[in-house]
Amino acid sequence: MSLKIILFKSPSCSWCPYLEGVLRHIIADSDHLELEIIDVSKDIAKAEEYQIVAIPTIVLPNNQRIIGSADEAFIREQLDFFLTLGS
Amino acid sequence: MIISTGIEELDKMMDGGLRTSFCYAIKGTAGSGKTVLSLFMTLGALKAGIPVLFISTEVDIEKLMIYGKSFNMDLDSYVEKGLLLLEKMSLKPMGTNLVQTDRFDLSAIIARTKNRMQTINAKMIIFDSISAFFAEFKYEKTARSNFMDFIREITNEDAVLVLTAESRMNEEYSTIEEFLVDGVIKIRTELKNNQLIKRISIPKLRSAKPINSENRFIINRDGISILRSEQPPVSIIHEESSGIEKLDNLLGGGIPSGSVVLIEVDGETNYFPLFLSTLCYNLEKDKGIIIHSNVHMYSSRIIEDFKKADCDIEPFMNKGNIVFIDKYNRSVTAIEAREMSQLMTTDDMISVTVELMEAFQKSNQKVVVYGDLTDDANILSESEFLRYFALQSFNIKEKRAVAHSFINFNAISREMLARLRTTADIIIRFSREDYTTYIECIKSSTGATFLPKVVKYKEKIPLIEIVD
Repeated sequence: MSLKIILFKSPSCSWCPYLEGVLRHIIADSDHLELEIIDVSKDIAKAEEYQIVAIPTIVLPNNQRIIGSADEAFIREQLDFFLTLGS
Repeated sequence: MIISTGIEELDKMMDGGLRTSFCYAIKGTAGSGKTVLSLFMTLGALKAGIPVLFISTEVDIEKLMIYGKSFNMDLDSYVEKGLLLLEKMSLKPMGTNLVQTDRFDLSAIIARTKNRMQTINAKMIIFDSISAFFAEFKYEKTARSNFMDFIREITNEDAVLVLTAESRMNEEYSTIEEFLVDGVIKIRTELKNNQLIKRISIPKLRSAKPINSENRFIINRDGISILRSEQPPVSIIHEESSGIEKLDNLLGGGIPSGSVVLIEVDGETNYFPLFLSTLCYNLEKDKGIIIHSNVHMYSSRIIEDFKKADCDIEPFMNKGNIVFIDKYNRSVTAIEAREMSQLMTTDDMISVTVELMEAFQKSNQKVVVYGDLTDDANILSESEFLRYFALQSFNIKEKRAVAHSFINFNAISREMLARLRTTADIIIRFSREDYTTYIECIKSSTGATFLPKVVKYKEKIPLIEIVD
């Protein structure tokens, strides 16, 4: 079973490309995590569905959300539970 | 485009209403009525057929609808018509946990709001409230600075943005919202005599003069009513010269517009020199003169007296700047006068005077009214006379004119004189002792009264001289 992590980004967000790279790097090492990237300027319906306000927002499967960009260590710490899951 | 707030008095305070591409903040302490006011503004726009997007960051939409219903608002019908869209937007949807950093922007809420605006072509966006919205952010300062983008992007869509914001008690300083927005509507509640009193003011309004004075307002099921200001904006008192320099100085600069000057004389004192001097001055200043003529004050006598003083006022009279109103026939009662139909009653006198004042003011002329009240006091019943004087005085104040009312204080009762004095703004009293006439001011709306001074009569205008 794979768990989906969603990153909401926008063209105006200057931290998003970096955060996207970090997430892709983390996910690449895990075989049970999947990354979905949503650009709110293109898919507003998804932003509505998830009631997104700030960008970047990472929506985790346990209803946890990370608002704002951070370095890899911080993100890994937050994703720790999911990364270790099934391993 | 100007959108009415739906509250007539508030529109007046806001120079007509809310302007599109402008952002306004409703600031108030908790429970002062910010949400209710924003809901009534929403209803005002909806009634005018203007689509509204209402963003709630605090209250659930279902609760908001119930709240609206408690104020007789049928918001559902506007939702069905596609004129109203209510949307809950908050950083932390129910059941979620947040981890926050300070590296974010608000582009998602901007995109969502713009998308919703397009759905109904909204021209008014209510954001209730930014305080609750910011409270969800761990890095509130970042959120607040990014909120500037939200304001800019939304107002760029040719729409009105109304934000509600909570102000803390005794907040002396302006918060960031007050710098960002184009207008601030401030409401507050205070406890006075065990009653909660709500007050509203406009401390900031771009492109118009802000109204800092606070007006009381009442919220009830039928709407919001704003009561007339208890502290009207300070206006410069415009003083008009009496034509006698010394008298002006003693009165602290002149007679303020909208004043009723009661001039008390005894039976032996001739008030005509004062009357003629001020009359001549006002005619020269191209003012509109209304004279309630009577047995003492009539045109031919006035002309004759002016001639004696080597002054010809006929050219002024021919200009139409002076109008005599012949009062009702003094030998009949008011009822008889009505029956005789061609004669005036006191009510007719009042309405004719008002019409004349308006006519003069239309041609940008200031108005001065003269009248001898002594005959009225003798002919009319006491209540009718006092009513007449009060109504005339009210009109004078309303029209910012000046009235000179002469009265022989020996001819009326002390009670009646006291009542006249209460209504009058300035009281000038003439008295005589050992063949010397004195003038004194015993009441003045500006506080500039003066003790008796000797009066000397002269041959030429001004016919009166006040001696120290």
